Amino acid sequence: MGGKSFVVETIKRNRMVEMLAQGKRLDGRGLSDIRPLEIKTGVIPKANGSAMVTLGNSQVLAGVKIDKGIPFPDTPDKGLLIVGAELLPMAAAYLEAGPPDENAIELARVVDRGVRESEMIDVGSLVIKAGKWVYSVFCDVNIMNVDGNLFDATSYAVVSALLTAKMPKFVLDGDVVKDTGERLPLPVHKIPISITIANINGTLVADPTAEEEAIMDARITLDTDDAGNLVAGQKGEPGSFTPEQVLTAAEWSIARGKEIREKIKAATGHG
Amino acid sequence: MIALRIGLAEIVRNDVKVIPLTGVYMPRTEDLVIGKVVSVTGYGWEADINSSFVGYLPGQFVFGRDFSPATHDLTTRFVVGDLMLAKIEQFDRTRDPQLSIRGPDLGKIAQGEVVKLSPSKVPRLIGRKGYMINMIAELSNCQIKVGQNGMIVVDGTPEGTAKAVEAIHMVEAEAHVADLSNKVQQMLGGTPSAPMQDTGE
Amino acid sequence: MEEKRKLIDANGKRTDGRTWDQLRPLTIEVGVVKNADGSALIEWGKNKIIAAVYGPKEMHPKHLELADRAFLKCRYHMAPFSVDERKNPAPSRREIEISKVIREALQPALFLEDYPRTAIQVYVEVLQSDGGSRVAGITAGAVALADAGINMRDMVVGCAVGKVDGKIVVDLNDTEDKEGSGDLPFAFMPNLNQVTLLQMDGLFTHEEFKQAISMAKEAGMKVYNIQREALMKKYFSGSGPEMTTTTATEMMEEA
Repeated sequence: MGGKSFVVETIKRNRMVEMLAQGKRLDGRGLSDIRPLEIKTGVIPKANGSAMVTLGNSQVLAGVKIDKGIPFPDTPDKGLLIVGAELLPMAAAYLEAGPPDENAIELARVVDRGVRESEMIDVGSLVIKAGKWVYSVFCDVNIMNVDGNLFDATSYAVVSALLTAKMPKFVLDGDVVKDTGERLPLPVHKIPISITIANINGTLVADPTAEEEAIMDARITLDTDDAGNLVAGQKGEPGSFTPEQVLTAAEWSIARGKEIREKIKAATGHG
Repeated sequence: MIALRIGLAEIVRNDVKVIPLTGVYMPRTEDLVIGKVVSVTGYGWEADINSSFVGYLPGQFVFGRDFSPATHDLTTRFVVGDLMLAKIEQFDRTRDPQLSIRGPDLGKIAQGEVVKLSPSKVPRLIGRKGYMINMIAELSNCQIKVGQNGMIVVDGTPEGTAKAVEAIHMVEAEAHVADLSNKVQQMLGGTPSAPMQDTGE
Repeated sequence: MEEKRKLIDANGKRTDGRTWDQLRPLTIEVGVVKNADGSALIEWGKNKIIAAVYGPKEMHPKHLELADRAFLKCRYHMAPFSVDERKNPAPSRREIEISKVIREALQPALFLEDYPRTAIQVYVEVLQSDGGSRVAGITAGAVALADAGINMRDMVVGCAVGKVDGKIVVDLNDTEDKEGSGDLPFAFMPNLNQVTLLQMDGLFTHEEFKQAISMAKEAGMKVYNIQREALMKKYFSGSGPEMTTTTATEMMEEA
């Protein structure tokens, strides 16, 4: 209320750092614990798929729109999958309306890569007629309330929305693409799960809150797939990690990633 | 005349006075506020006082008349993130509120836990002649600094602080309830040394 | 706007089964965006719209601040997945115009003079669109402003009326909006009886226009009740009759 700045009070920051040195966090979580995660799918019935994710107090809404489209010239036999994210200015007091800044763009691109490069969706089978018509899948995310770790909240929303999306079945009738009226799930290969870990004065914490992010030195986001492979990564903020910390982060990502994957599978009916 | 404000309304003679339940702090001269330094400028410090206006503490008020940026380093007194208990020295609608820390107990707040309360509930937290806040401080064994702007700092043992914070949240949630001081006292446990004033509850 | 098919059947039922004077199902929930100073979610027909308010707060850019009042800013925006064909997230000319008319619909109700040199920001985000999104946005925006504690002269309530198959109907749905022959978004302050938004396209005879205005006001009053109930629910549920004059007096003396 009336907060124009996001400065953490010195006495609070000192207390947080003291507690972290003893393995404790303000909200009582363990260092590698994830906040309560709530997933509601199908919240935008008009869209092909949608999911509202609440991670702690961070709240994110993803919507999927699927239509026919023209393939990129260098990949004529692949469907289009484009993931975008917008940090709505209503999501926090310190945000102003305007074109996306570098943080918003980094967020969108990292989430996009996490889903695309991990080959979550089999875009090779999203073709209507190679070189001419393919399925184009847009997943757009609206970030609606900020309380830390937007990378993971956004990723979980995108994954949940894609897992529950219904795509129209298109066929070619001569030269015209027709909607048969049939509705199918998207072809899903694997479920990538993103885990973000912050480095606060040498202590690693997973799923940082907004206050923890305000005092962190650096963060790293690592995505894993169902087989425990690492499929995407991004380090951010002007601090650093030791190589040992990076490996610890990878261990946490694999372990917590498994737990979150089960939650998402249960919420989306893929369990 | 029609007016809309979420609050409790009382009709006094022909005027409607509304006690708002929400809203940011509107500065008033002489108010004691707790501010958080958000930037150090050339000649003073800017502080977030939970208002739509930023508070300003001039370097002169701390270092004295001969203050000059060339000879005095502002960051030796306050840095970004520091909390202060200050007085609104001057405020009018043409400029930002000016703060001062000259006075007993004013100045940097070095320890404690920060609690935020809607500014409109502060009178309720203080209570008639300070009854409510004194009771909370005594029964939780904490030192509590209350800013009129809804910023509060509680200093005590971890258990005491937790109790005091819970009491403050209770006042915020149930400010409109009659018999609130009894409820708060029961929640804290114990008997305050000052006898229950006739508060009309 | 040519009509291609019958939008009202022989029994007077519209495409979604309503009669000419029925509103679509409408609910309002207050306080849905935790970080905002005030907020409201409105579900009106298939519209799902969130309004959030921040303010009064510092004005940016500072050189545009007003010496004697708050600067009211409004942003109406549609999510890419809110409409049938995915929409590019960049603000379109339509969104910019609607942002302006929503701001001008809400402004007359606000005591901006109480907050000089500040900004009050209203965000209206359409998550799912179904005809009448701007009046729904205004309706939610006014509730969010009250939730934020901004001093207001009156509430603002919106309702669109239109012309379908030659008949004036209340609260157009998406199909009627696209295929009907007249669309009139309308918003007003219910107690002061002042119109703050009026847009029109299509053809209304003089008589039809008069009828449309009166129907819009009547329907608007129903929506106003829903606004009030939603605010009462958040602020006074569970404490209604306990609020006594004594408590209010006590609070006033301590204030």
